[in-house]
Amino acid sequence: MDVKTVQDVAKFAHLALTDEELERYCKDLGDILGYFELLNEAPGCDERGVNPIKVEDVVREDIPKQEYDADELIKDMDTYDRYVRGPRLS
Amino acid sequence: MSSEDTLKNLKRINEKYQMFHAMTDDVSEDGSKFLFSAKDNLTSKDMETCAGSRILEGYHPVFDATSIEKLRNDGGKLIGKTNMDEFGFGTFSTNSGFEIPRNPYDLERACGGSSGGSACAASVIDDHISLGVSTGGSICCPASFCGVYGIAPTYGRVSRYGLIDYGNSLDKIGVLSQKATDLKKYMEIIAGKDDKDPTSMVQPEFRTAYRKTKSVAIPKEGIEGLSKEVESTFKDAVEQLKSMGIDVDYVDMPSLKYAMPAYYILATSEASTNLARYVGMRYGHQEGDHSLKFDDYFTAVRSKYFGDEAKRRILLGTYARMAGFGGRHYAKAREVRQVVINDYKRVLETHDAVLAPTMPFTAPKFSDISKMSALESYKADYLTVPANIAGTPHLSVPCGYDSEGMPVGMQFVADHWNEDVLFSIAEDWEKQFELRRPEVSI
Repeated sequence: MDVKTVQDVAKFAHLALTDEELERYCKDLGDILGYFELLNEAPGCDERGVNPIKVEDVVREDIPKQEYDADELIKDMDTYDRYVRGPRLS
Repeated sequence: MSSEDTLKNLKRINEKYQMFHAMTDDVSEDGSKFLFSAKDNLTSKDMETCAGSRILEGYHPVFDATSIEKLRNDGGKLIGKTNMDEFGFGTFSTNSGFEIPRNPYDLERACGGSSGGSACAASVIDDHISLGVSTGGSICCPASFCGVYGIAPTYGRVSRYGLIDYGNSLDKIGVLSQKATDLKKYMEIIAGKDDKDPTSMVQPEFRTAYRKTKSVAIPKEGIEGLSKEVESTFKDAVEQLKSMGIDVDYVDMPSLKYAMPAYYILATSEASTNLARYVGMRYGHQEGDHSLKFDDYFTAVRSKYFGDEAKRRILLGTYARMAGFGGRHYAKAREVRQVVINDYKRVLETHDAVLAPTMPFTAPKFSDISKMSALESYKADYLTVPANIAGTPHLSVPCGYDSEGMPVGMQFVADHWNEDVLFSIAEDWEKQFELRRPEVSI
């Protein structure tokens, strides 16, 4: 895998890589994806389930309730005036 | 070591084996019926939960995972949260942001991963059970390396509520113990429907009645690439099974060789989306520079606190989901999962279980693990990944020891929801197998 592709993927995944990491992951991902080409010769199948078992008819009605105390939920969070603090948007 | 001794000596035991990331401060017996520990990716009200990742340092959940809650409700006392590979990303429990558990049979060797701390606790402490989580083999691999019994049930058998996700379509909570009989006893407690996890709601009745095992099938693909000592120990174990009146057949399961790449495509794709939530807000480290724009803030926190293997899998999974490559490999990986399931079902129509060694080698030394490439480490999972990608229940039993006294395990795989088959085989095996306990001195 080339450096530019790994840089693009890292940016998309919100990771800043050092030069050493970039070099290492380029090699590792190249080796791994090269081996995964084995999938090209694997037999196909019409079925492509998301889960290994059938999961159906399990949807229930939403029931609004407050299961946990709000103060308890935010006790370890960085908050300002009981709002979760985050970075600026622009 | 008795329950009382264990509680008194908890810190000293842990100093030697490094199995717990967090431990209870309450060392009173307080009438609890049994002691248990749980992998640190299961949320617990009274102990920090980090899933082996520094990005979650300081996270104190407000609720128990359903599996922990059920054990507590049945009289269990949670004594520790066990060390693990970060978010479950590893085969040796060496990819941890914290402590690395030591093998009870040789402190210079790994416990296996990613539930390494759980296997270590189950091996070292008497009458102890530990909850583990398997995504690609993370219960049976460490069970094999630490010489204990371990079961990963059918996908959906145990509620995943309170589990910090690795791969949602793969994660399964199970049990590790020195005793096969304990697997059934405690699985009965944690199994069952939970409307907080829809995938648990489709399960049929959890059967535990004894069923005499008539035959097992050994896939030829499952006995390739073994170390000489695992190969010969496994051969002896197979002879022992035959002497127990079990027919053994050798079969072809050609799909198994494709399971490993398919697993890593699916698992890392799911992991890379699951880990997108860790951005330095709400839980774990939150001390980033709020004057940064959000992209830069998220990137700074994630780059600082994710470990090497977590970054590698995020990159791999993100790439696998991107247009082009993703269209080619992600869809194919989902097809391969179904092909593997079909292969198991075909063989299990005429056999009670599929059998192979659990791992191709015994617990390696830390010095050897540090020389392995990422791909070499992934390839080591080729025996445990197929049952995991198929969501079929699987159970590892200790089946012998190599010339250096390290345990060897073998893994039985049954059809979906047939955990009773595995309990029966394991209990029959346990009756005639002499478990060599590690020497525990503190």
